[in-house]
Amino acid sequence: MVGVTEVYNTLWIGLIFMVLGLPLTLSYRTTGIINFVHINFITIGAYVGVLLSLLGVKNIFMVALVAFIVGAAIAVFDNIAVFKPLSRRGANVVILMVASLGLWIFYKYFLYAIVDLIGKAVKENLVSVILELDILPTINLGGIVVDGKFLTTLTLAVIVVLFYYLVLTKTSIGKAIRAVSDNSQLAEISGIPRDHVVNFMWAMTGGAAAIGGLLWGIFAIVTPEVGDWLILEIFAVAVIGGLSSLLNTAIGAFIIAGAENIVMAALHETFGLPLSFRPFITFLVLVIVILVKPPLGAGGGLPYRFFKPRKR
Amino acid sequence: MEAYPIGSLNPGRGDEDMVEFNVLGFLIDWSTFFAIYAILAISLNLEIGYTGMANFGKVAFYAIGAYLSAVLTIVTFLTIFGVSAPLYSVDAVIALGKHGAELPWLNIGLFILSIILSAIVTGVVGYLVTYPTLRVGPAFLGITILSFGEMLRFFLRNYEPLGSTYGLFGVPHPFQWVPDPTVRTGIYALIVLGIMFGVYLYAERLVNSPFGRVLRAIKDDEVAALCLGKHVPRIKATVLFIGSAIAGVAGALYLFYLGSVNPDMFIPRVTFDIWAMVILGGMGNNKGAIAGAAIITFVDRALTFITPSLGLTAYITPDYIRWMTVGLLIVLVLLFKPGGLIPEKPIKTPALEVANKIEEG
Amino acid sequence: MPELLETVDVAKYFGGVRALDGVSIKVKEGSVIGLIGPNGSGKTTLFNVITGFYVPERGEVWFNNEQIDGLNPNEVYLKGLVRTFQIPRLFPSLTVLENVIITPPYQIGERVLDAPFKKRWEKQEIDLAKKAVELLRRFGMGKYIKSKISELSAAHIKMLETIRGLLASPKILLLDEPAAGVAYTTAKELFEYILRLRSEQGLTFLIIEHRLEVLMDYVDYVYVLHNGRLLSEGKPEEVVQDPKVIEAYLGG
Repeated sequence: MVGVTEVYNTLWIGLIFMVLGLPLTLSYRTTGIINFVHINFITIGAYVGVLLSLLGVKNIFMVALVAFIVGAAIAVFDNIAVFKPLSRRGANVVILMVASLGLWIFYKYFLYAIVDLIGKAVKENLVSVILELDILPTINLGGIVVDGKFLTTLTLAVIVVLFYYLVLTKTSIGKAIRAVSDNSQLAEISGIPRDHVVNFMWAMTGGAAAIGGLLWGIFAIVTPEVGDWLILEIFAVAVIGGLSSLLNTAIGAFIIAGAENIVMAALHETFGLPLSFRPFITFLVLVIVILVKPPLGAGGGLPYRFFKPRKR
Repeated sequence: MEAYPIGSLNPGRGDEDMVEFNVLGFLIDWSTFFAIYAILAISLNLEIGYTGMANFGKVAFYAIGAYLSAVLTIVTFLTIFGVSAPLYSVDAVIALGKHGAELPWLNIGLFILSIILSAIVTGVVGYLVTYPTLRVGPAFLGITILSFGEMLRFFLRNYEPLGSTYGLFGVPHPFQWVPDPTVRTGIYALIVLGIMFGVYLYAERLVNSPFGRVLRAIKDDEVAALCLGKHVPRIKATVLFIGSAIAGVAGALYLFYLGSVNPDMFIPRVTFDIWAMVILGGMGNNKGAIAGAAIITFVDRALTFITPSLGLTAYITPDYIRWMTVGLLIVLVLLFKPGGLIPEKPIKTPALEVANKIEEG
Repeated sequence: MPELLETVDVAKYFGGVRALDGVSIKVKEGSVIGLIGPNGSGKTTLFNVITGFYVPERGEVWFNNEQIDGLNPNEVYLKGLVRTFQIPRLFPSLTVLENVIITPPYQIGERVLDAPFKKRWEKQEIDLAKKAVELLRRFGMGKYIKSKISELSAAHIKMLETIRGLLASPKILLLDEPAAGVAYTTAKELFEYILRLRSEQGLTFLIIEHRLEVLMDYVDYVYVLHNGRLLSEGKPEEVVQDPKVIEAYLGG
């Protein structure tokens, strides 16, 4: 039987995937780059939690704020130092993506090196950490116990989503971001320089992804590979969202979380499929979505159909 | 995370060759690695440099070639010598060791057959895996193949008949029957270099043709190429067939050099190394791909010998530095020398000669 | 004369926006037809439906007595429809000559199995190269044969895109704003060429233009699109007089 645990985990993980997937969709929509540094945002977000708790800063909201700032700073730096010069020179999306791949490798091992050094200095194992932060307390709602970790995730996820919603719909820079993703010429009209708009977008992206990484760190163990483990899921989430719709991305987050928990548990019980085969389900979902409902139009698609439309 | 020793071009392999420095040994070792990586770099260059397809999962096809050759060779040996034991078992390894040098033609035949089969099978897999993603834009291909590679590795780690995490051992060298190991590895290095040269010639002829012209057009603007009647999805899938087939051959060559395979030889980092080679050498230029492979394999191999003497290891794992360098190298070359060491040249077809003649006359 | 190209009640929606809403046009063989309308009126969308970029929600597209809606762009091209883009899409890493020589379909050397063997395709390649050079010279671009696209002027780029498909001997050319961003005199020259091609080779043209006055002297018949519907059609001099058209241009 698929039980309450699976549903509960689906909700929980779905929230985290949403916080990680929304920024990927936003940045892809605006720039057309699948940014590999997204993986680093996640890992770094989680490690901000680790390092701050070493320093004694344990308030989760404080930590989340710092994670946001660090993630945002890295994202903006990448744009200014790498993406902008490259696109100004006329490099295409593929080249930008390869550059982001290089950045990913660099940041990943940079983080490894730092974690290694600090770990040696404080004589603690920082390569596999259980985060201990001051999170919201576990509450009891008329007999239903809501875990404090879940409550924290829910709260921060709601804050991030609200932040995205408010910025993108109510502020002029948010409207400019949407204009840039739809049509860059229109964007100039809003009066905000395009560079600022794109930088702001990257800050929102890196920041939110770092908070997502922190949330994952609360849910599971923190290692320098957390982002690498999650990227397939996050990518699948964004593809379900067509890489353009933020609402569908949010829905995709819960579809993937459900596939990995509820569907996986069902398959495990019915066919005895080992639980470690979780990523295969996600990969399968990804391939099916690409085949059946490919995110065409979201930048760089080919106007080509494998199957002839029905003759009327 | 498994911390590999440096010399990560060869992850999962012990550093048995670190005992003492031997110039000839180093040269043979390096030239074999260089040739294998040059083959991989040429295949990636065909995809990214000429056609503009970002294949972030090159390693998957490399792995398929290696595993396929291992299974083929081990199964054939065990069948011929009447040993019934699982492929990965100690009994099998002992039997392979015992009979590995008895029938020279068997070794050589299996070597050739492995190369051919690897090319065909990996080519077909490459075609099938990528075909669905080809119309969806450049980002998807890369991520799908990257994930495919990781799924494959994950599967191999968990699949017992292929030895799960330990992999397969004791594959007889094609020249096992040559008693002197230096001669044996020397001959092998020459053969691998020869195959590399053949692959280079093939790639050069393929791209300096009307077909190569279409590939460049697809790299520039695939939509425009489609509107000029070129069957872009099929052409891209064909290039991935060729690229994957070549990578499969490299996998077979790698297997017979090492004599063993395990899933963790095929981590995504191997792909990134190949990317670094192509970008450093120059995208869209086969000579560049070879130069990139030569430089990076040389530095990597040399570091294997040098680093332990630097005394840095107490503070920082050299592996991290190596990989930070690879990442940074990719970014810096793209930023400051986008053409790489040997930049892209116009393709050579008779059309160019016609134009030249007309200009002169 | 028979209709070469015909759209029947074609509709294409994007979300809730009706980019095309029941458009029927007819293009006779050997004619030069104009397609005009304000920005966002659906001209380029109609091109995209005809050339297989989009599958229409409703309606049919007929070419040479064949139904072609739903075909892919490459298949449409092989039927003999060549299109250009509003913003030219040439291949910057190829030379001018190669941008032309790439257009004929079914080249031997483009087959992957034949490509490594120069002997098999060399002759065809040289023939095509000679024809391409001839074509470029005929349109005054003989000097630029070996140039890169980045070395050409905007007018030459427009010109190159318009003429390169001729090497593939098409039946119809669909030109998307061939005169945009081109000086008035150059635009005139281009249209003179178009008329010449029509009379010399019996080619048919369907031309999108934003500016009416440029087209006026050269087209046989004009369709006016507005908000995805046909607003007016007729001989150019009739269309200019049409009060609906005047209102659309001035009011839109």
